[in-house]
Amino acid sequence: MADIFKTVITLVSIVAIPLLIFLFLGWGFVKKVKVYEVFVEGAKDGFHTAVRIIPYLVAMLFAIGIFRASGAMELLVSLLSPVTNLIGMPAETLPMALMRPLSGSGSLGIMTELMKVHGPDSFIGVLASTMYGSTETTFYVLAVYFGSVQVKNTRHALPAGLIADLFGMLGAVFICRVLFGI
Amino acid sequence: MLNYVWIGLIVIGIFAAVGNDLKDDLRNTYRNGESLKATVLVEKTPSALQESWEGEMVIPANDFNEFYGVTSAAKEIRLPVKITTATTGESSLLLNVNTAAPEPWRTMAKNATSKDNLTGTLRSIRFEEEGKRALVEIVFEPIRFVKIRAVTQATLDYASTAVNIALGLIGIMALWLGVMKVAEEAGMIRIVTRLLTPVTKRLFPEVPPDHPAVGSIVMNLAANMLGLSNAATPMGLKAMEELNKLNPKLGTATNAMCTFLVINTSGLVLIPATAIAVRAAAGSANPGMIIGTSIFGASCATIAGLIAVKLLQRMPRFKKDDPDLQRTAEGAMRKEEANG
Repeated sequence: MADIFKTVITLVSIVAIPLLIFLFLGWGFVKKVKVYEVFVEGAKDGFHTAVRIIPYLVAMLFAIGIFRASGAMELLVSLLSPVTNLIGMPAETLPMALMRPLSGSGSLGIMTELMKVHGPDSFIGVLASTMYGSTETTFYVLAVYFGSVQVKNTRHALPAGLIADLFGMLGAVFICRVLFGI
Repeated sequence: MLNYVWIGLIVIGIFAAVGNDLKDDLRNTYRNGESLKATVLVEKTPSALQESWEGEMVIPANDFNEFYGVTSAAKEIRLPVKITTATTGESSLLLNVNTAAPEPWRTMAKNATSKDNLTGTLRSIRFEEEGKRALVEIVFEPIRFVKIRAVTQATLDYASTAVNIALGLIGIMALWLGVMKVAEEAGMIRIVTRLLTPVTKRLFPEVPPDHPAVGSIVMNLAANMLGLSNAATPMGLKAMEELNKLNPKLGTATNAMCTFLVINTSGLVLIPATAIAVRAAAGSANPGMIIGTSIFGASCATIAGLIAVKLLQRMPRFKKDDPDLQRTAEGAMRKEEANG
């Protein structure tokens, strides 16, 4: 069952992009849209959108860079580890949970390291990879998406995003303990 | 909120860096000024006249671990070394710290005067076994301010990373914005929009159900679920742009924008391809076993995020900035003025 699901989804994601391009442009052609001209017209905005994001992304990434380089993470881990022990989350995976919303490359590094040390099929390895798949890099997404429309006052987006991350991590711990728990 | 978190990251980071460096200094983590005993193996005995000679430095793992108070050295350390004797008679050493070297040497080498090399002076040198072995006592150059230097480097690196990421988006953005524009003109987006109106009406009550933003939102979510991040980001940014057209107060996020963002940051993916690839590379017997658990985790994140975003938007401190409410308030005031 799981295998069929995996095969189908993998297949869909492989053919999706050519299929979408074919459908959209083909349908446009059938509907007598001047496809080339309209495409170029739309593509023109690509440059400006990307350039508009730069200040927002610089602000966000350099703050995260300082935090990561300083070793503040170890401090936070030692502060929070009593809490995570209570819910049965191994202390080794706490840096993973804290890094996930901050940095995609950082959490990827932690996940790889945990698997190297504990093995990919150990409880810690499974939990770390589940955590990685359970949420997105909130700070990055926020900077890119809001940066593209020059939104500076983000209101409740960050707290809501962080609550989502927290529950994603708790959900990962819960399901891994139920299915592969010790 | 973002203001506090942002300045928090920076201030906590800098304080932690200073604190960690002070701790390293107090504990003398890098053993500045202390001498380490080592053996240097040479192929040919250097003559007394020779200015410099090369050899292989050997330190047993136990000696190393004891000296630095660590457990990082698993086996005997062997590294290439070059010893130079100055005219004053003082000998200095250049140790090539490669990836096989244990911590803290790699950290020390990164912060040393010459990159990937540790320099030091020799307190004593004594040849044994007909000059094939030399017993040496080394004092490495002092290593200080490791974290503060790392912070400095990180600010520069990350600032340029940000620009690279943004510039890397240009091509893919242009491609998808072009495709989306054709789809829009052909009426394709409108069809997608109409199909999913029942769902989007509940999630985005502020957005008119036939607005082009809805189509982009739906396509972004579909692309995200399939793990097509290359297509998802441009579609998501297009959706943000459309949502921004409904925004009466530019620069402030509307409720719909926050809701859309939270769905995106929760990252519901049907196949977490990156995690599976890393598991496979690490030699997992069943790399795909985390598909189900990841979907469960991401669903928890999405549901919790949606509940949070809908509850938080009612809180006074977030509600007072709501662009949609301000518009109606202003509109009401203007109407009153017109009537009066």
